[in-house]
Amino acid sequence: MRKRLALLMALAMMVGAMGACGGSGDSQTDKTTGTNAETKTEAGNKGSSGDKQEITFWHYMSEDKEGKFVNQAVEEFNNSQDEIYVTAQYLPREELMKQYTIGVVSGELPDCGMVDNPDHNSYASMGVFEDITDLYDAWDEASFLEGSINSCYYEGKLYGIPWGNNCLGLFYNKTMLDEAGIEVPTTWSELEAACEVLTTDSTKGLAISAIGNEEGTFQYMPWLLSSGGSVMDLTSDGSKESMTYLSGLIEKGYISKESVNWTQADAEKQFASGLAAMMINGPWQFSGLAEDAPDLEYGVAKVPKADDGTYASVLGGENIAICAGANIEASWKFLTWMTSEEKSQEICKSIGRFSPRADVDSQEMFSDDPLNSVFAEIMPDAQSRGPSPDWPEISAAIYTAQQEVFTGQKDVDTAMANAQAKIDEINAE
Amino acid sequence: MKKVHFSQKQMSILLSILAILIAAVFLFPLYWIVVNSFKLDSEIFASVPTLWPKAFTLKAYQEQLSSLTITLKNSIIIAIGSMILSLCLSVPAAYGLARFKVKGMKLFILVFLITQMLPASLVLTPLFLIFSNLGILNTYLAPILSTATISIPFIVLMLRPGFLSMPKDLEDAARIDGCNVISAFLRVAIPIAKPTVITAACFSFVYAWNDLAYSMTFNTKESMRPMTSAIYTFMNQYGTKWNSIMAYGVLLILPCCIIFVTMQKHIVKGMTSGSVKG
Amino acid sequence: MQSNKRARKELLIGYCFIIPAVVYMLLFIGYPIIYNWIISFQDVTAKTLGSSVRDIIGFNNYRAIFTNVTFRRALLNTFIYTVGCLVIQFSLGFLFAMFFTKKFKLSKPIRGFIIISWMLPVTVTALIFRFMFAEGNGIVNAILLNLGLISEPVGWLLQGGTAMLVLIIANSWVGIPFNMLLLTTGLNHIPEDIYEAASIDGATGIQKFFKITIPLLKPTIMSVLVLGFVLTFKVFDLVYVMTGGGPVDATEVLSTYSYKLSFQLFRFGEGAAVANVLFVCLFLVALVYLKTISKDEVI
Repeated sequence: MRKRLALLMALAMMVGAMGACGGSGDSQTDKTTGTNAETKTEAGNKGSSGDKQEITFWHYMSEDKEGKFVNQAVEEFNNSQDEIYVTAQYLPREELMKQYTIGVVSGELPDCGMVDNPDHNSYASMGVFEDITDLYDAWDEASFLEGSINSCYYEGKLYGIPWGNNCLGLFYNKTMLDEAGIEVPTTWSELEAACEVLTTDSTKGLAISAIGNEEGTFQYMPWLLSSGGSVMDLTSDGSKESMTYLSGLIEKGYISKESVNWTQADAEKQFASGLAAMMINGPWQFSGLAEDAPDLEYGVAKVPKADDGTYASVLGGENIAICAGANIEASWKFLTWMTSEEKSQEICKSIGRFSPRADVDSQEMFSDDPLNSVFAEIMPDAQSRGPSPDWPEISAAIYTAQQEVFTGQKDVDTAMANAQAKIDEINAE
Repeated sequence: MKKVHFSQKQMSILLSILAILIAAVFLFPLYWIVVNSFKLDSEIFASVPTLWPKAFTLKAYQEQLSSLTITLKNSIIIAIGSMILSLCLSVPAAYGLARFKVKGMKLFILVFLITQMLPASLVLTPLFLIFSNLGILNTYLAPILSTATISIPFIVLMLRPGFLSMPKDLEDAARIDGCNVISAFLRVAIPIAKPTVITAACFSFVYAWNDLAYSMTFNTKESMRPMTSAIYTFMNQYGTKWNSIMAYGVLLILPCCIIFVTMQKHIVKGMTSGSVKG
Repeated sequence: MQSNKRARKELLIGYCFIIPAVVYMLLFIGYPIIYNWIISFQDVTAKTLGSSVRDIIGFNNYRAIFTNVTFRRALLNTFIYTVGCLVIQFSLGFLFAMFFTKKFKLSKPIRGFIIISWMLPVTVTALIFRFMFAEGNGIVNAILLNLGLISEPVGWLLQGGTAMLVLIIANSWVGIPFNMLLLTTGLNHIPEDIYEAASIDGATGIQKFFKITIPLLKPTIMSVLVLGFVLTFKVFDLVYVMTGGGPVDATEVLSTYSYKLSFQLFRFGEGAAVANVLFVCLFLVALVYLKTISKDEVI
C-alpha cells in the first residue's frame, strides 16, 4: 500500500512538473498567448534573434481545407521581411468567437483576428477590435467594395478590413436536368415547375439550409430580397411572399423537411450524393464537391428571382481586424500586406473567395472559369447583412420565423409578425 | 401448490441468454458507431442504411492517425493528472464525511452539491479569469484543475454512501490494534472499499478524458489540444463527416475500455475477497 | 479525560480529511457562482462587457427573462426532460443492477459492456442518436418501417414532442449504466448473510427487497437520485449538439438558453440570470436531499 501511494505521489509530481512547464517546449516565461501592447521577443525554436516583433493571428480556416493556403500566405509574409513574425493559429469558428468574448473581460486577445462579416459589428461594439480609422484613411491602397468595407464600420469608425467575400447561387445537377429535359430555372415559377419534375421518391428538387442559426438567415436572404422584402419590414407583402413561396416548396415535398436541421454543408452532401437535384450554396463548396462527387456534372446559376422581382444574393465572407491591446504597428503591416491588391487576389483565389477589393476585377479574373464566373457576376448584387451590432438578435428573429413556418408551427403571417415585433424591440433599445 | 424449480445451471443459462438479449438491444448504438466507422461516405448517405458495410474501408481511421501522437499524449496527461488530483482530494473527503461526526457535515455536503450546479459552459469566463491571473493558461494545469472540479464533488457524494454502508468493524479492530486514524483509513478502509474507489478513479479519468470545453477554452495552442478536439475537424462549416465521427468515437473509447477491462478484474477481486462476516 | 482529548483529536483529523476538497471547490467554483450572481444584477451587454462600470439594474434581468416565452419554455422543458430521464434511468438502472448481481455466467462481462455507453463522450452520443433518428436515412426509421410498425418515416427531430423523446432516450442510454453501476456498488456492500438470515426466517423475495434491500440501500439511492437530478437538469452538450434547442425552441433547456443569451446574443446579464434560475432550482433539490440525511448516518 505504501509503495503504491509513493508511486502515485511520484506520478502526481511528474504530472505537476509537466503541467507547469507548459508541455510544448516553450520557455518558462511564455504563459499566455495574447500579447500586451509592448512587443515581445521569443528566443528558442522560432529561429529568430532578438529584434523581431512577434504577433499572433487567429483564424478559423481549417488546416485541411482553406487553412493551408492561409498558412502559406503567412509564411510568405514572414519570409518576405525581417521585422515581424506572425504566428497563425487555427481555432474552430465558434471557439474563436467565444475567445473574443472572454477576451474582452480577461484581456487575453490575439494581435489579429478573423471574424465573420455580419458578426463584426457586434464584436466591435464589445471592444474586441481596435479603431483603425486613421490608419486606413492614411493608407494609399485602401480601395474596397462598399458593401464589404461597410461591415467593418461601427458608429462611424473602422474596426477591420474585409478579407474575402462570397455569395449564394443555384447549383444544379446537369445530368438530372438534361434527362428531365428542363432548362435551368431563372424565376420562382420556373424553379417550382422544375422541382415538380425533378422530385422523385429518392430525390428532392432543391436542397437548402434552414437551420436555426446564422446559416439559416444567410440562406433565406436572397429570397427575401428578391421579392422586395427587407429585414426592416418583415411584414411587408414582399417579405411574406418569399416565406410563403419557400414553405410552399416544402409542403409540396420539393424541399426536404429536414432542411431545418441542415447546415449548408449538409445541403451540399445531399446534392453531392444525388439526393437533391439542385441546391442553394456558395463557391466554397467547390472543393467539397470535387472530393465528395468528382464525377458529378454540375453548373451554377443565379438564385432564381421572384417572378416580378430582381435577382438578389447575399454577401458572405470574413474580415480581419486588429484586436484591442495588440501590437498595432506590426499588425497593421501584416493586415495591409494580406489585403493588398496582389495578395488579396492570390489568397482569395486559393481559398475560394472573391476579393473584396474594388480594384480587383473578379469577373475578369475568372472569365475562363465557368463556375466561378457566375459567382463573380452575382457578387455586385450581393447585399450585406446589417451591418448592425444587434445583427445576431435580428438574425435570430429571422431564422426562428423560418423554422416556425417550415415546421408548421406557425403560419407565415403570425411568424413574420412575431419576428418583426422582436426586431422592433431590439431597435428600440 | 407446486413450484417449478430450475436447476442452478439452467437458471444460469437462462439468465445469460436474457443478458445477451438485453445487451444486444442496448448496445445497438455502439454497434452502429463501429459499423459506420468503416463505411465510405457514399454509403453513409445512401437512402437505405445498410446494417453491414458494403465496402469496408479504414479511411476514417487513417485520417486521424497523423494528429494522434500529440493529442493522445495531451489527453493522457490531462486525464491522469485530473484523476490523481481528484482521488487525492475526494476519497479522503468522502471518508471523512462518512466516519466523523464533524459539525458542518451538512454544510460541506451542500458545498459539494452546489458546486455541481452550474453547467461547465457557464463557468468558462470566470474560470478563464482565474487561470489567466494564475498564469496557467496554455498549460496542462488549466484543464486538469478545471476537469477535477467536475469529478471531485461527484465522487465525494458517490463514495460517501459507499463508506457508510461499509461496516466499521475492521477499522475499529485496526484501531484497537494501535493504528491511528490515517493508517486505518489507508490500510483497512481503502482496500475494503477498493471496488468503489476504483470506480471513482474510472469516473474521474473518463470525465477528464472526454472533456472538450475546458481544454479548448483554456488552451488555445494547437499543440495542447486533447483527442476530443478532433471533432471540430469532422463537424464544421464544411460538413459533418459521419464515418469520421464514428471512428473518432471508437478511438476515444478504446483507451477507456482497455482501462476498464483491466480494472474489472480488480473490482471482481475486491468483491470476492470477502466482506465482514458474522 | 484521555478519551475526550482523543475524540477531539480525531474530530480534527476528520476535518483535515474533508477540508482540502471543500476549499478546492470553493476556490474554483465558488468564484464563478458569485460572478454569475453579480452579473445577473447588472446591465451587461455587448456594449458594457468590457467596461468596468456597469449599471446595477436590480432584478430587471430576471424580469426580462421571466416574461420571455422562450425562457418559460426552457424551464418547462428542463423539468420534463429531467423527470423523464430520472424515471427511466433509475428504474431501469435499478433493474439492471439487481439483474446483473445475480450469479450467472455472463453477468460480469455483459455488465462491463453495458457500461461502455457511459464512457462515450457526450458529443458522440448526441451525434450517433441524431444520425440514427434522422428522418431520411436513419436506421431507426428503417427498422421500424421494415417491422411494419410505422407506415412512413417519422421526423423524430423535426417535431418538438418526438425530439424531446429522442433526447430522453439518448440521455437514458447513457444514464442507465451509470445508475446501474452506482446502485451495484451499493448492493454489493450489503452482506449476503442478512438475506440468508431472512430466508431462514421465511421472508419472500418481495419482502426481502422492501425490508432489507431498500432500507440498507437508502443512502445510495438518495445519492443516486439527487446526483442524477443535478447532472440531468444541467444538461448542455447533449441538447446543444443533437438539436441545438430546436426545432425552434421545442427542446431548449435552461443551460442552452443561457449559453445562447450570453455567447450568441451577447445579453450576458440575462444569460447569468437564467443560469441562476437553474442554480436555484437545483439548490432547492439539494436542500430536500439534505433533509433526508440524518445526522446519525455517520457510523
